[in-house]
Amino acid sequence: MATKTFVASEVLTASDTNTYLANSGLVYVKSQTVGSAVSTVAVSNAFNATFDNYLITYTSGTQTVDTNIKMQLGSATTNYYGVMIYSSFLGGSINNASQNNAAQWDFAGGGNSSLSTIHCEVLAPFLSIPTHLSSFIRYSTVYGRNVGYQGDSTSFTAFTVFPSAGTLTGGTITVYGYRKG
Amino acid sequence: MTRPNIQIDDEVREMTEEEYEALLATGWTLEGTDETPTAD
Repeated sequence: MATKTFVASEVLTASDTNTYLANSGLVYVKSQTVGSAVSTVAVSNAFNATFDNYLITYTSGTQTVDTNIKMQLGSATTNYYGVMIYSSFLGGSINNASQNNAAQWDFAGGGNSSLSTIHCEVLAPFLSIPTHLSSFIRYSTVYGRNVGYQGDSTSFTAFTVFPSAGTLTGGTITVYGYRKG
Repeated sequence: MTRPNIQIDDEVREMTEEEYEALLATGWTLEGTDETPTAD
């Protein structure tokens, strides 16, 4: 049963608690506090067989350079594809930036000395099929949405994020899994 | 020259030369340039 409506004075059993609270729709997997002045952050044991699809967030950190944050899966350094559609909050046209067989996804997140963010969904990284990425980007005047594809049929358990330039300090990377059923 | 720091889970340390070369291969720089993407 995917959902249940409790009524007043109903006994809350351990079984129901485990099923409906601990195993809710979006399930916490792990978090990683980012250190000081790090150019690269690798998060291991992020993906496993319990979930197929994941949400990764990074908040409350900062960057020394106003730029994008990149992402790699496991040790894969090729076969990344993507299109980022973006514009400027100053106005102007809608543009795109594409990646064809790149060494990483260039647009997993972004930020500056005030705040850095990552908000991306990663589909099927642990399954031995290609992995998809959906993310939003904000840095400099760039506000965009990105769709990424990694073509290896590899089961990944880890990911690495790193800014295009400079370093990251502070904040927390959190990984959630989408409950399967 | 001091290499930048890498964080692997809770461990933060200076990059090895091999790790630093891999980072540079991605186009990374310490100070950065104008990273505003160029439209295709």
